[in-house]
Amino acid sequence: MPPGTLTRERDVREAYAAHAGELYGFALRSLGDAGLAEEAVQETFLRAWRAGERFDPELGSLRTWLFAILRNVAIDLSRARAARPGLAEGGTEPSVEPLEEALLAWQVEEAMRRIGEQHRRVLVETYYRGRPYAEVAAELGVPEGTVKSRVYYGLRALKVALEEIGYED
Amino acid sequence: MKTEGCRERRESLGAYALGQLPADERAGLEAHLEGCPDCRAELMELEPVARVMPLADPERIGAASAPPPDLGDRIAARIAGERRGRRRRRRLRLGLALSGATAAAAAAALAIFVLAGGPSAGPEQRVSFSSLPPGVEIAATLEPRTYGTEVHMYVEGIRSGTLCRVVLRGPHGVRLPAGTFRYRYGAEEAVLSAALDLSQTRSVVVHVGRRAFVAPVESQPSA
Repeated sequence: MPPGTLTRERDVREAYAAHAGELYGFALRSLGDAGLAEEAVQETFLRAWRAGERFDPELGSLRTWLFAILRNVAIDLSRARAARPGLAEGGTEPSVEPLEEALLAWQVEEAMRRIGEQHRRVLVETYYRGRPYAEVAAELGVPEGTVKSRVYYGLRALKVALEEIGYED
Repeated sequence: MKTEGCRERRESLGAYALGQLPADERAGLEAHLEGCPDCRAELMELEPVARVMPLADPERIGAASAPPPDLGDRIAARIAGERRGRRRRRRLRLGLALSGATAAAAAAALAIFVLAGGPSAGPEQRVSFSSLPPGVEIAATLEPRTYGTEVHMYVEGIRSGTLCRVVLRGPHGVRLPAGTFRYRYGAEEAVLSAALDLSQTRSVVVHVGRRAFVAPVESQPSA
């Protein structure tokens, strides 16, 4: 895609098809509300289209650019929501993590979804649920050493998946 | 040199990085790491991943979320709408610029527009709001209708979700509401109407949140 070509409606459609799922996932994770997440994704593509001439693929991927826009939109929406008195008083406001933390959390969750089922399973069971290797091994019908090696290869796969979705340590 | 023992140790590195290795195995592995730069390098690769893992909520891992199926179409519709809105606003700005020019220059320019069949040819009236905060743009066009006046509002630069209320003022303190709208990011014009003839309309008042802005309406030349 040459520079400045996010100006046509067709380009936006293509960008949407490729990235809307992830953008929505992150928006939902960070804003905690489906309606706001929709508004955020919509606003992100509108801003991207309006600034389409400034997009230069030489400088970074379209995905990175869209995430940067979404980040700003999410900040604006969080502020607007904080300023809306009715919601805050009603106590219906979902809890909001600081945005950077929410982005990281979403990246880890998204990376976990992308790795193989076998790897995900042992990481969830042993790490997040804190279950002993022996118990997980018995449940899966494999030797304990296999659980251990799956944890290792799972962690490696997670690293690759995190890099794919733009995480930088 | 990679030995068979090294490979086995290496597979313990995941458990080690996550703090899952039993104490006895941990001691053995740490002794090995002392003398094995390859395994140390491998551990350094895994540690940043292990550090961010606690951030994830395991309950959310299984729940991949998808945007509503029609969101893409709605965005495309908004963009198409905004493209139309831009054309309107460009015409509107041209009109606003005109109202600021000197009378003679305006008359000359008007003549050119009329000759060219330009934006001044229609019966619509453009009005401009003064004393707007920096970054805020509000403009309106008024169109005569048999039932009164149709009001097209264009707003930019205010917070998304802000409630806006529009009132038309006539002679002798007459005030007729044209309606309300909520501004949304990138929204195109809001179309409202009031039961007051355009020829009777003296000014347009728009209440944005707690502030109000007024735009005078010039008396119709031919009405």
